[in-house]
Amino acid sequence: MTDLIKLRGVDKYYGDYHALRGINLTIRAGEFFSLLGPSGCGKTTLLRVIAGFEGVSGGTVMISDKDMKDVPPNQRPTNMVFQSYAIFPHLSVGENVAFGLRKSKLSKTDKAKAMEDALSMVGLAGYGSRAAHALSGGQRQRVALARALILKPKVLLLDEPLSALDKKMREHMQVELIRLQRAVGITFILVTHDQEEALVMSDRIAVMFAGEIGQLDDPETLYRRPNSRRVAEFIGKMNFLPGQVVAVGEAITLDVAGFGRTDVPTVQAPEGAKLGDAAIGIRPETLAILFDGEKASRHEAAAVVDEVVYYGDMTYYDVRVKDVPEPLTIAMKNMIGRPVLEVGAQTRIAWDERAIVVF
Amino acid sequence: MKLLIYAIAYLIFLYAPIILLPIFAFNDATIIAFPLSGFTTEWFSELTQNSALHAAVQNSLIIAVCTAIFATILGLCAARAGAMSDFPGKKGITGFIMLPLVLPEIIVAVALLVILRQVLGLSLGNWTIIMAHVLICTPFSIAILNGAFGALDPAMEEAALDLGESRWSAFRLVTLPLVMPGIISSMLIAFTISLDEFIIAFFLTGSNPTMPVYIWGLLRFPKSLPVIMALGTILVALSVVLLTIAEIFRRRGVRRAGGTDTGGFL
Repeated sequence: MTDLIKLRGVDKYYGDYHALRGINLTIRAGEFFSLLGPSGCGKTTLLRVIAGFEGVSGGTVMISDKDMKDVPPNQRPTNMVFQSYAIFPHLSVGENVAFGLRKSKLSKTDKAKAMEDALSMVGLAGYGSRAAHALSGGQRQRVALARALILKPKVLLLDEPLSALDKKMREHMQVELIRLQRAVGITFILVTHDQEEALVMSDRIAVMFAGEIGQLDDPETLYRRPNSRRVAEFIGKMNFLPGQVVAVGEAITLDVAGFGRTDVPTVQAPEGAKLGDAAIGIRPETLAILFDGEKASRHEAAAVVDEVVYYGDMTYYDVRVKDVPEPLTIAMKNMIGRPVLEVGAQTRIAWDERAIVVF
Repeated sequence: MKLLIYAIAYLIFLYAPIILLPIFAFNDATIIAFPLSGFTTEWFSELTQNSALHAAVQNSLIIAVCTAIFATILGLCAARAGAMSDFPGKKGITGFIMLPLVLPEIIVAVALLVILRQVLGLSLGNWTIIMAHVLICTPFSIAILNGAFGALDPAMEEAALDLGESRWSAFRLVTLPLVMPGIISSMLIAFTISLDEFIIAFFLTGSNPTMPVYIWGLLRFPKSLPVIMALGTILVALSVVLLTIAEIFRRRGVRRAGGTDTGGFL
């Protein structure tokens, strides 16, 4: 894949507030890219910098090897789906979708055809003559998509496009957006604070904190090998244990509180391992409660159930393990014949050193 | 029940003097007193024959129309700047712009008279009244248009820009139609305020009086009182109609822009 967007040392100040701190980022043509982070981390600002709505205080923005300095939003090969959708309420659905074609030299029939095509692409064929202000939230979102895609931009920018929808609709639109992106082959850049949404939809994700990119990776790497505690805490849940790195060689030798000495592959320390104290991370679903007669495939430890949270498909246990200062959270699938333990129950847990992350 | 009585008493207090206008406008006597002596439309027909009054009304209309246009253009600029951009001292500046709303008109009138006559040595005329009326009407226009712009999603104009329009055409194609009801509402309010404004017009009027100034002049002749009543009746009716239209447009604007109504003048 070729590089489409290159940001080099992009800084953005609002007065004294440093909103973007030297962002370096390359986005490839045709990928589904997400900017993920808590509110106020600068992800929307970064998107608006790419769109041209915000100037930069320093650094360069290149799209297709062309410097975007002094190129206004209406001349950039980008189109945007706004968080509020910004559907023009005084125009019909068709007029909204065809708005971007006003300046094009297409004939009237070609424009009408392009409008119909764009509408059917988002599943709204035949809606052209409806009044825009009478649409539901999901329909508005589709109109906003059709309106942005009719200009065949190189990049489609999506600013929290699903946050206004209810949970069911949101999950449905996630799948639709992936399908749409594959169909049109345009680069999508999605801004979201929803880690699950980013994991489901993206080819690559940049996790942002306080105006900086904390980690940029594909969803699986990001989830399995977060490079810092804050990334690990932002994406999914993670247990943290105190530990020590005692040797680094072909593997990393660790002393983990409560679990003893173990060797983990070097890739499990994304930022490299240094001898001495380290934070050890373990995801809840990589631990398991051992029920009667079950045996751990790698290692096991004795534990006492401290808290039980029942979710229907899953049960989350907080368990205490000797010498581990904080209770560990364990996510267990609820299966037929598997009981839900009660608080205070004595049990054994299984753990696997290959799931350990060293910070 | 108590509340109802209170409400009725309050309404009587507010509107009784105005109700008297049409009653005496149709009363067949030159003396304004009860009991009524009979029905006549004589005072209205007298209105149609008074050429000095016609000149005054024409003056007032010219002034009111010009005021409505200028005040609304100024209000449009201020409201747009207030709603869509952020700049240092924005709150303070907005406060200062709204100040004439509470400034006593007599002070504005005296100050303007001194500046125009003593300082600048200009002669008085319709345009001096227009300037002063723009001054007192602009805060009303800003208040109305602030509402119109406040209900407007700032992403609207950006969306038009993003779809290839220039700044001006984005404003013309998207923002303007969405705030148009507010513009019409603002023009009607400014027109109404200017039309019956007396103090400033009285101070700044040249040789051609405006309608309220002319009416004040008529008061010296008791015989012409019923004619004034007739004129007053027409003005009240006109004011009510204009204000109602203004409110209808303001509400439509808020609805169209997709916002919720946060209250207006009516």
